[in-house]
Amino acid sequence: MAASLSLSGHHRIPPLVLSVLCGLVSVGLLISIWWMQSQLDQRQDRTLAQMDELAHLPKGDYLKPVLLGYHHLGADLLWLKLVQVIGKRQNSMNEYEWMAHALDVITTLDPHYAYAYYAGGVILGDLANRPDLANRLLERGHAANPTVWNIPFLLGYNYYFLLADPAKGAEYIMRAAVLPDRPAYLPGLATRLAAEAGKPETALAFLEARLQDTSDPEMKEFFANRMKEVMIERDIKQLEGAVELYRTAYGHPPTSLAALVDGRIVRDLPMEPFGGEYRIDRETGVVSSTTHPERLKTFFRRKKDPTYLYPRIEQPAYGFSKTW
Amino acid sequence: MKVLSIALNTFRENLRDKLLYNLLIFALLMIGSSILISKLTLGDFDRLMIDIGLASINFFGVLIAIFIGIGLVSKEIDKKTIYTIVSKPVARYQFLLGKYLGLTMTLFVNTTVMVIGLVLVLSARNIPVDMLLFKAVALIFVEFMVITAVAMLFSTFTSTTLSAIFTLAVFVIGHLTPDLKTFGEKMDEVGRMMMDGLYYVLPNLERFNLKGQVIHHLEIANADLALIILYGLTYTAFVLFTAGVIFQRRDFR
Repeated sequence: MAASLSLSGHHRIPPLVLSVLCGLVSVGLLISIWWMQSQLDQRQDRTLAQMDELAHLPKGDYLKPVLLGYHHLGADLLWLKLVQVIGKRQNSMNEYEWMAHALDVITTLDPHYAYAYYAGGVILGDLANRPDLANRLLERGHAANPTVWNIPFLLGYNYYFLLADPAKGAEYIMRAAVLPDRPAYLPGLATRLAAEAGKPETALAFLEARLQDTSDPEMKEFFANRMKEVMIERDIKQLEGAVELYRTAYGHPPTSLAALVDGRIVRDLPMEPFGGEYRIDRETGVVSSTTHPERLKTFFRRKKDPTYLYPRIEQPAYGFSKTW
Repeated sequence: MKVLSIALNTFRENLRDKLLYNLLIFALLMIGSSILISKLTLGDFDRLMIDIGLASINFFGVLIAIFIGIGLVSKEIDKKTIYTIVSKPVARYQFLLGKYLGLTMTLFVNTTVMVIGLVLVLSARNIPVDMLLFKAVALIFVEFMVITAVAMLFSTFTSTTLSAIFTLAVFVIGHLTPDLKTFGEKMDEVGRMMMDGLYYVLPNLERFNLKGQVIHHLEIANADLALIILYGLTYTAFVLFTAGVIFQRRDFR
C-alpha cells in the first residue's frame, strides 16, 4: 500500500487504474513464468530427467541417516518416482539397471517393504530379463522378511523358468510352501518341481513333513498320494539306471524287469505303491508304472531356451556417476 | 496456579498468532495426497497414506516446537513484558514452566486435531487403523516435548536466531546419535569417552520414531513403550531444570 500511495502521489495515477495495472503486471508475470516452465519442460525430456535423478541417487546406506527418521517416507517417494518410470511403454537396459539401483535404495531405506521386493523382482526378472539383478534383490528381501511367502516363491520361479535350475527353484518354492498365508497349491507345486529336478528324496522328505503337520484329512490324503507318486518317480529313476547298467554289462536291454534281478543288477524289484507294477518297454528300455503311466512333472513345457543372456554378477557392475 | 495461568495465557497467545492454520495445510495435504497417490502408485496404498500422515504430523509439530519454542522467553524479554511478570510474586521457574506448558498445550491440540483428520481420511479410504498408530503418535508427541524444552533452554541465554540454529542442530544430531557411538568405537580411549558422553547427553530422538513399526504392523512391547516415554519425560525434566537454573541467574537488560 505504501508503494501505491507514493506512486499515486508523485504521478497522480488514480488508485483504480493503479490496482488494475498491478493486477495486469502480476498476471503477465504469472503467464510468462508458466510459459518459461513449459518451454523448459519441452526442451528437456522429462523422463530422461527422471532417469537422471535415479542415476544420481546416493546409496541407501548414506541416504538413510540424512532423512532424519523420515526414511520410510523417503522410500515411498522414491517408489512413486520409480513407478512413473516403469510406466513407460519401453525401457532400455540401462534404465533397468537404474531401476535395480533405485530398488536397492528403496529397500535399504525400508528393509521391510515386502511389496517393493516382490514387484521389483517381477520387473527385473520378467520385464528386464535380468534374473541376476532380480534374484539379488529378492535374496535380500527374503533375508529381511523371512515370513513373507511370495519372495521365495518368486525366487523359485526365477530359478526354474529364467535360469533353468529346477533344483534350486524347488528349494525356494519349498521354503515358500511352509510360510504363513501361502496359497494351498504351493506344497504340491514344490514336490512337482523337486521330482522333475531329479531329487525325489527331497520331495519325499518335504511331503513327510507336511503330512505330519496337517490335521485336515483331505490334505493328508493328498500328501499321502503325492508321496506315492514321488516314490514311483524315484523307483523309475532307479530302474532306468539299472537298465542302463544291464545294457552296458550284457550289450542288449533286458527283456523284462525280472531280468534285472536274474542278471544280478538289482537285488529285488521295488513294489509299486498303488498296487500296480512296473513294466519295461522292450524296444526303448523305458520303465513305466501300470497305475500311473504319466511321469510326475510340472506341466510346463519350455518353448525356448532360457533367455538368460547376461553374465552373472556378484557385485554391482553398473557404474554410477560419483558426482551426486 | 500461577504456572497454569501463564500456560493458558501462552496458549491463547499462540491461538492469536493463528498458529493452528497449519492444520488447514495438513488437511489439504492429506486429502490431496489420498486422491493423487491412489492414481500414481502401484500396490500398498495404505502404507503411503499412513506414512504421509504420520510424517506430516511429526514435521509440522517439530517446526512449531522449534520456531515457537525459541521465542517463548526471548520475545518477552525483547518486548520488555517480562518486567511486568518478574516484578509480580512469580518465581522465575514458574514463569518458565508456565510458558513451556502453554506451548505443550498448543502442540497437544494441534496433534490431536491432525490425528483425528488422519483417522478420518484413513477410514474414508477403508484403511484399517490399529492401536499402534496411536502409540506412534504418542511417541511423536514426546519428541515434541523434548524439542520444545531444548528450544526453551537455548532461548533462556541466547538470541532467537542462535537458538533456532542450536535447536535445529540438536534435532538433526538427535536423529543421528547412534552414529556418534559407532564413530566413538573407531577412536582411541579419549575419543571414545567423549563420543559416549555426547551420546548419552544428547537426546536420542530416533527412539521416538515408531513410524516404520506402524506400516509394517510390528508391535512394540508395552514395557519398551513405557521406558521410551519415561526417557522422554526425564530428558525434558533435565533440560527444563537446566533452563531454570540458567534463567534464575539471568540479568534482563
